Amino acid sequence: MKICAILRLVPDLVEEIEVEENEIIPFRYMPNERDEHAVEEAIILKEKTGAEVEVIGIADSENEADLDEGLGMAAAKGADKLYKVVLDRPTYKRCEIAKALADFLSDKNYDLILTGIQAIDSYAGNLGGILARYMDLPYIGGVVEVNVSNGNTIVKKELGGGLLAEYKLPLPAVVSVVSAERPLKFVPFTKLRQAMKKANIEEVELELPEIEGVEVLKYEVPPEPEITLIEGDVEEVADKLIEALKELSIL
Amino acid sequence: MKVLVFGEVVDGTIQNITYELVACAKKLGEYLTLVTSDADVSSIDGRVIKVNAGETNPWHYKIVEKVIERENPDLILFGNTSSSVDIASQLSAKLPVATSVYEVSAENGEVIVKSLSYGGKIIVELKLTTPAIAVVNVGSYNAEDGKGTASVEEIEIDELGVRDGIEFLGYIKPEEEDVDISKAEVVVSVGRGIGDETNIEMAEELAELLGGVVAGSRPIIDQGWLPKTRQVGRSGKTVTGKLYLALGISGATEHVEGVKAKNVIAVNTDKTAPIFRVSRLGIVADVNELLPTLVDKIREIKEG
Repeated sequence: MKICAILRLVPDLVEEIEVEENEIIPFRYMPNERDEHAVEEAIILKEKTGAEVEVIGIADSENEADLDEGLGMAAAKGADKLYKVVLDRPTYKRCEIAKALADFLSDKNYDLILTGIQAIDSYAGNLGGILARYMDLPYIGGVVEVNVSNGNTIVKKELGGGLLAEYKLPLPAVVSVVSAERPLKFVPFTKLRQAMKKANIEEVELELPEIEGVEVLKYEVPPEPEITLIEGDVEEVADKLIEALKELSIL
Repeated sequence: MKVLVFGEVVDGTIQNITYELVACAKKLGEYLTLVTSDADVSSIDGRVIKVNAGETNPWHYKIVEKVIERENPDLILFGNTSSSVDIASQLSAKLPVATSVYEVSAENGEVIVKSLSYGGKIIVELKLTTPAIAVVNVGSYNAEDGKGTASVEEIEIDELGVRDGIEFLGYIKPEEEDVDISKAEVVVSVGRGIGDETNIEMAEELAELLGGVVAGSRPIIDQGWLPKTRQVGRSGKTVTGKLYLALGISGATEHVEGVKAKNVIAVNTDKTAPIFRVSRLGIVADVNELLPTLVDKIREIKEG
């Protein structure tokens, strides 16, 4: 059995992001958290079934250097093969990435393709479902547990409010993960450095097709909150908070 | 503009998002709703097409495709929820799509939407050529405006000639052994800003002093620092009590959807954290520096 997990980059929200009307300029990129969960779930499946795991990192010419750590992390956790797919231009359109990726994946014979359910920059589509349709494979998202048996995958899907549902899909299939069934495994820095040195990463350049229909008119920062934010030393702000709790009759 | 709403059913019940989407559709022109599972659809305002194809399932996108062919809508609205996104994302292989949308309008035959993206930190305004799909966040429109009297047309699944590829096996209901955070009056909730698992103890102490319970955002639950029953947000619980004290929580859309407490007080080091936009009091501070002082002071008050 052969599984792949897709690992994309998103802007690091901890850092300042410059917002212009026609573009946003992140200071740095980091792996999409939900994709990290997809990678983790692939590793869990390897432990359960002995499956071969390949991780496909996706970047563009502007941020490809930021992908290395995420791929190194996947290697340190036990991924068997790594790809670094560099797109020929940045795009916010998930359908363009999905189309290029579907062509790239078409001869790889994966039994299961895992993606993160979403990314913080997915305002023009979610990758998993689009990819599944371009590849003509069954699809399900919002998944928190994946099991495989007799040519099928049985998944647990979150429906909100703590409710889950179980579904069975014939393989091959595309599954979008919201959370892996265990916390992301911690990789010590030394192990990560070793894995990054040893990692055999195959670089691939992909040309994106142009798909019309969606156009960004502008980016903007939301209006400031209507409340006044309280700043000051810890003693001072603690007193303000206590005052508020008293006003609410909680204290 | 003609709008098709995808009505969401979970465990035999029409979800509130359906009415919210109808409220949105009514503002744009002619509208109808498609429901693909068995449920009481009588309160949905306007035309309803009902196809009883079993529990909501990702393959139902094929039913939506058939109804699109028949009805030729300019816009199809989906809720930004787990089940609906499965269907919307598959249809968006063929149709232009905008996700995390909170405002939809129509201009000269084109669809203009606003999307709250980048963890709620950036608004993206998009133009879509029709027919298009908009995936709309829960809480963007008033559900009451979408309620009314349905005029229902039922279609047999066999008439549509689509088949099933994915099997629904059953629901797994949440365990009820833990405290129910949705019913608690005071919820002390922790997010990534708490930094370390050991700091949760202090949040627990604070919750106890305030007569409340501890909850958390998704990253805390993913880490296994708090059980799943304590998760606030789209896939967790909705808190409805008197106070929600958000400690080190940024306030991404999927989290804020679960915050319906009467009062929100937020503590965060990031002045631009979206949680401050839904707060009555916002404090810019490091939770881990503030918590020990706060707990000491409150303990003194309680003991005094």
